[in-house]
Amino acid sequence: MPASTRRALGAVLAALGVVFVVVGAWTVVRLGPSGEAQFAATSRAPGVIVVPADVLNAVDTPVRVTAARRDGGALVLAVGASADARAILTHSAVSTVSAVHYPSGGLDLQAWGAGALTNISGADVWRLAARGAGSATLLVDQARAPETLVVTSGDSSALKDVTVTLTWADHAWFFEALAMATLGAVLAAFAFNDLWQGRVGDVPAKVTGRRSSEARV
Amino acid sequence: MNPRDAVTKTLARLKLSRPGVNSHDLITNVAATLGLRRDDLVRIVRVMVATVVTVVGIVMITSVPGWGATHALLGIHQAPEAKTSSAPMTVDQARKILTRTFTAAYLGETNSGAAAKANLRKAYTRDGLRAVSGRVRLASVQPAALASPLLAPHPTLLAVSRGFGFPRFIIAQTSASEGSLPILHLLVSPDAATPYRIYMSVEMVPPATVSPFDQLSSGSPLVSNDTGPLVANGTGLAVAPAELMKRYAAQMVFPAKSTSKPPFGADPFASQVRAGAAAVADAVSSQATFTQTHRVLPNSVYAVRQASGDALVFGVIERKDNFTVKADQNVNTAANKAFVLLTGSKVITKAADITTLEFVVFAVPRSTGKATLVAAREQIVAGSGS
Repeated sequence: MPASTRRALGAVLAALGVVFVVVGAWTVVRLGPSGEAQFAATSRAPGVIVVPADVLNAVDTPVRVTAARRDGGALVLAVGASADARAILTHSAVSTVSAVHYPSGGLDLQAWGAGALTNISGADVWRLAARGAGSATLLVDQARAPETLVVTSGDSSALKDVTVTLTWADHAWFFEALAMATLGAVLAAFAFNDLWQGRVGDVPAKVTGRRSSEARV
Repeated sequence: MNPRDAVTKTLARLKLSRPGVNSHDLITNVAATLGLRRDDLVRIVRVMVATVVTVVGIVMITSVPGWGATHALLGIHQAPEAKTSSAPMTVDQARKILTRTFTAAYLGETNSGAAAKANLRKAYTRDGLRAVSGRVRLASVQPAALASPLLAPHPTLLAVSRGFGFPRFIIAQTSASEGSLPILHLLVSPDAATPYRIYMSVEMVPPATVSPFDQLSSGSPLVSNDTGPLVANGTGLAVAPAELMKRYAAQMVFPAKSTSKPPFGADPFASQVRAGAAAVADAVSSQATFTQTHRVLPNSVYAVRQASGDALVFGVIERKDNFTVKADQNVNTAANKAFVLLTGSKVITKAADITTLEFVVFAVPRSTGKATLVAAREQIVAGSGS
């Protein structure tokens, strides 16, 4: 392999290794040993809060959803088939979690609809449900995805100033990120070493060239 | 003009070089302008390029949705598609619904007052609610064995609907006590916001049995018919569910009419109804004219496909017993305690009618053969007379 090609390849591998180290190490720090990624947002618009399947079922690990309202009132979290949730909330004011931002930990909430809220507690379409005063938590597995999670007051009264937190946790993520950082470090070390060796190998030629120049003088 | 000439002229215009100077000289000149050695300038440019490439790589890998490193690392993907070939609920959900509904039914039927009525409305729907209201109203004059079909503590879950369409159903079976007839229950939910409620509870007719349904996890499809919910294609049955119910109702009319090639076999319930009508007509023949009509109630037929391809068909028939009293005659109804309780009349001089709901369940073979009555129950729900 020509020296220039070898040097270019070494540079690319070194850059790749650095990228792996930075991303892996940064993910390790962000997730921590528990492998926990947390996202939160506070809904100011009155209405129910909906976490659609695009968010709820985006990862194959259970998601822990916690809702807390500042006034300490009743909260109900329920999860069921997406089509059923849509049918029940068709005429209600809803704030939907439309995007998740990693690593900032933010959630985008999109408000739509203006109708009176439907009391969802009478329906039989909810697979899991949790109730609480001031806050409530529901652990949603991925067994029957796609599903939609709904946060309401438990009756037809509107929710306001409610903070929703989604937490995914997987120990494997931490170790995967650690492996990525380690792999990157090894890759970068070998690549930099090769580049350095190539540079050292070039030095005698330059020295020789100078000597011949001096000989002519 | 070749490319080399073009580069040279462009550089000349930019006053970075003059004609005849090559790229090697250009780098040397730029280095001299910046007060650097040529090798140092080359190293600096290489480091800058490597840094920019690395930073751009990190930013792209971490921020571009869909193929970013974090997506790959965390396994982020699109939500899966909904399965139309699975049950819309878990077995646990179905069992909880049964427990809740049967408890409300039991409380409603064994108590009185507003709370009991609220429990009945929570447990029953449509014709099921009509029937149980009649049963509660006539509890004092009806045999205790027929008072409630819901005294079994542990209902057996037989089938749930398939897919996410509506209406949805649950079929369960109970046995009130040792040796008593098993009871089939059909619970329905018409839409997402309305909970499951009992539509009918029907005693099985010995020696009938119910063939197995598909697995509870996959659910059982509804068969389409003209007088019930159109959910799935219902081809391949020996007789269409709507036609079966229509023919069955027609053959029980009194005065009797002959029916040719009925799609169902003889059964004790129809025989009992016909014999009862003949006996009543005979008993009042000198005072009144007695007729009896049977009408399949709209949207009352539910046909559920079984694992073998056969179907279990549930239907509700409304029976009207009409008495037209002859001129200068009257009919003493004191012996009919149910009629007295419903109308308050012990003697009728003009006309009277009694409304009874007949809940029937048939097993319909998939290709050839006759439908068989599996379960049947009747309940007086209303009466009037003058």
